[in-house]
Parts: sequence; structure tokens; C-alpha cells
Amino acid sequence: MKDFIISIKRTPFQSTASFLILFFALFLTLFLIITITFSESLLSYIETRPQITTYFQPKTNENEIFKIRDELNASGKILSIKYINQKQAFEIYKKMNKDNPLLLEMVSADILPPSLEIYAKKPIFLPEIAEYLKKQPTVDEVQFQKDILDRLLNLTSILRNVSLAFFIYLFLMTVIVLIAITHFKIALKKEEIEILNLLGASYSYIQKPFLKEAFFMAIFASISSFSIILVILFYFQPFLNSYLQGISSLSLNILSFNLLIWPINWDFLLISFLITSFFGIFISLFSTFLATKKYL
Amino acid sequence: MIVFENVTKKFPLGNVALDNISFSIEDKEFVFFVGPSGAGKTTIIKLILKEIEANSGSILVDDFDITDKNFSKTLILRRNLGIIFQDFKIIYEKNVFENIALSLLVLEKYSYAQIKEKVREALEIVGLIKKEKVFPIQLSSGELQRVAIARAIAGERKIILADEPTGNLDPKTTWQIMKIFKKIEKEKTIIFTTHNVDIVNSLQKRVIVLKDGKIIKDIKKGKYEF
Repeated sequence: MKDFIISIKRTPFQSTASFLILFFALFLTLFLIITITFSESLLSYIETRPQITTYFQPKTNENEIFKIRDELNASGKILSIKYINQKQAFEIYKKMNKDNPLLLEMVSADILPPSLEIYAKKPIFLPEIAEYLKKQPTVDEVQFQKDILDRLLNLTSILRNVSLAFFIYLFLMTVIVLIAITHFKIALKKEEIEILNLLGASYSYIQKPFLKEAFFMAIFASISSFSIILVILFYFQPFLNSYLQGISSLSLNILSFNLLIWPINWDFLLISFLITSFFGIFISLFSTFLATKKYL
Repeated sequence: MIVFENVTKKFPLGNVALDNISFSIEDKEFVFFVGPSGAGKTTIIKLILKEIEANSGSILVDDFDITDKNFSKTLILRRNLGIIFQDFKIIYEKNVFENIALSLLVLEKYSYAQIKEKVREALEIVGLIKKEKVFPIQLSSGELQRVAIARAIAGERKIILADEPTGNLDPKTTWQIMKIFKKIEKEKTIIFTTHNVDIVNSLQKRVIVLKDGKIIKDIKKGKYEF
């Protein structure tokens, strides 16, 4: 640590430049990780919602609903169908409005429509199923979320591809800038390196301080970028709370491990921080290793 | 022991720095290399340090044939050599202690306590024990050269290569430096290049005189008149 501080004092501009470029790269990496994870978990959440919900007229005979359900099942395009009768609908309504007794008093099970929650095997079957349901005389309303789902799928896919391209650019830019900065540092320590060589210092002995500095610089840059992201995240938390109103939680299934993303979860943040730190350490050591290999 | 046998060194532009020279230096021998500028004194030092390669001939340093094409022990070779230059080659961002400790740290075998002890021993010899925490910028030329000598003698470096170490010093400081060399001469092999006749003549050591890359005299013990 003492050597690290002395090295910063000896080459303050180069060390600051190293820190800033690493901070920039890691801040953006962390931002991308959080954004992608968030959008993926949002997508997973929407995918678990019924893709088509069809509401029947309140007095529709259950047998007619079952007939439609069976016809849909027989089409081979359905993954699952869930029937919600009036009583169940009323239970759901009560649960949703438990804090509002006035609303509960005004509604009874009789006036709530029975419904079918339908999940298709493939999104392309959804318009066809919706059309079929709309033609049924007992159907009152068909809620079809394909547009939202498609838009989110597109958005997530674009975000993923853009992030990947941006990430590759960021990686290359950081490596090249760090190599150039390390080259400067080596040039500034040319006389010291010459003396060390004449005294019989091994290559690894001369290289070690550069690698040590790169390691600590990456640690400081990742801690700084994580702190700034935390501040931003908590600053915007009220906005996110209102934006995601109605969504109790968002999570992502990674290798059969369910990771909670929203509400803000420290496990998720810690994992993001560790990934960013490892990336920072790797990129910093890799660049310094290349530079010392070439210029020492 | 250092043995040069028919060593020739030519630089790329064709100038001959050493022309088929041979000599041998025993362990713990003190040898002055004298001669005008361009005679080849510094080339000998650089060849021993393996900073440059000879074009022909062989050089033995402590049983290592350093002219062998397969020689790969430059690190071990240099760890046995203490070097002192006219321009001191001191690191100005490190204090006196750290500059000397560098000579031991590069060996990667001593603990901090051992380094501290050995640095202090070297500082005692050169008379800078009270200045171990001082930075080079606060030292005089003579003191800087003493730091360089302490760095060269710290640890177990058997051969001291002093390339005109008194070239930048006034007469009084020169004699103070020579007293230090007198102190260490029984422990180390010393190769000392100089222009200073007074030093050579007063110490009465072996003198090898070079001119145009050739040895023109090898006086075992005695005075030399330029």
C-alpha cells in the first residue's frame, strides 16, 4: 500500500488518468449489469402474467365456458388455461381492495365476470386465439398483452446487443488507454528501471509494482463506481417505486437460483459489485501486463 | 576472478573500443584502469556487467563464461556486482536508506530486519549513518557518491565496478571517497576507472593503462606517470 501511494505521488497525472478511465469503464459496466438484469427480470415477470385474459358476461353458464376452454385445449396451441369463477374473482377483488371497505361494500360476486387466463405455447398463436375468443357471443372482453410482450422482448434484445457492442468497445478502449498510461509510467521510471536491471533485479521484481498499482487502482475504481451507483439508485428509488407500482417483486432465475432484483436487494447489488470488481481487476492487470511485457 | 582473453569490442559504426585485450584479476584485488577518454575503460565495465556483448574473445567472471552464447545467468552475475558511477545513479524519490536497501531487495531473499541491519552496516562504512532518512536532494555530491558506494557494498556483492566515481568530486571529497575504498579493499574485488593520477599514485595498487582499446601497460604495484 505504501508503494502504491508513493507511486501515485511520483506519477500523479498518469495515476489519476488510470483511475478515471477505470472508474468510467466500471461505472458503465455496473450500470449495464443493473439495467440488463432489471429489464430481464421485468420480462420474466411479464411472461409469467396471463398472455390472454378473457372475461365472460357475468351470467354465462359455466358449461359454455368449459366448452370454449376444451375447444382451445384441443387446438394444440395452448400451454395452460386457468378458469376463474365469480367467487374466485371476488376473492381476488377483496384481496386487492382490502384497504378500501367502501369498494368492497359496493361489489358482490354476482357482478364480477368469470374469466379464463390463457397461456399460449408460442406468442405467434396469441392473435389467432384472441380472434377466436372475440367471436364467442358470451365473451365480454379480451385482454391481449402480445404488443407489450413483443415490445419488451424487442427492447430487451436491443438492449442486450447494444450493451454487448458497447461493452466490447469499452473493454478495448480501456485496455488501449491503460497500456498507453503504463507506457508513460515506465518512461518516467526509466532510470530507476535501468538501475534495478544493473543491480540484478528479476523481470518479475521490476514488473510487480506496476501490477500492484493496477490491482489497487481497480479496487478503488470499483468501490467508487459502486458507491456512485448506490447513491443514484437510492436517489431514484421513490421514482422507481411509483413506476413499478403493482409489481411486488422482480426476480431472475440464474442457474436454478432465484435472485431477487426488486425491491432493492443487497444480495443482487453485492453480486453486481463483485462481477464489476473482478472485471476491473482483470482489465487493469491485463492491460498492465501487456504494457510491461512490451515496454519493460 | 575476472579473466579477459583476446577480447575485442567494436561498435556498430566501426570504432574499435577494445582491441584483442587480455588480463586477469584475482579475487579481492584492487585494480585501476586508466587512460584517456575513449581508451575503453567504461567498455570493460559494461562488458563485465553484460550490458554489451564482446565481438570476440572470452570473459570469465567468477567461473561464469559470460561470452558463451548460451549464458543465461545474467541476474546471478549482476547480483555479485556492485556498481558505482560518476553520475551516482541514485533514485531521487527514495531516501538514503531506501536507495541502499534496493540493492538487497532485488535479491529477494532477505527479511526486512536483515535488510535494515545490512544497510546500517554499509552506512557505517561510508559514514552516513545519521542520514538514512534524508532524501538525495538534500545531500552533497560527495554524500551522494557515498550512498552509491553503500549501495554497491551492501550485502554480498563480491566485485565492485567503479566507473570514474570521483570524476564529479572536488579533491577533498575525492580523498574521503578513497578512504572508503581503502576500508573495503580487503573484502571485495575492486575495478576502478579514473583519470586522477594522484589517486592512482597514492594508493599504490595494480594499474592497467589503456590507449585506443589496447593495454599498453600493466603495472603490478606502483606509481604511474601519465
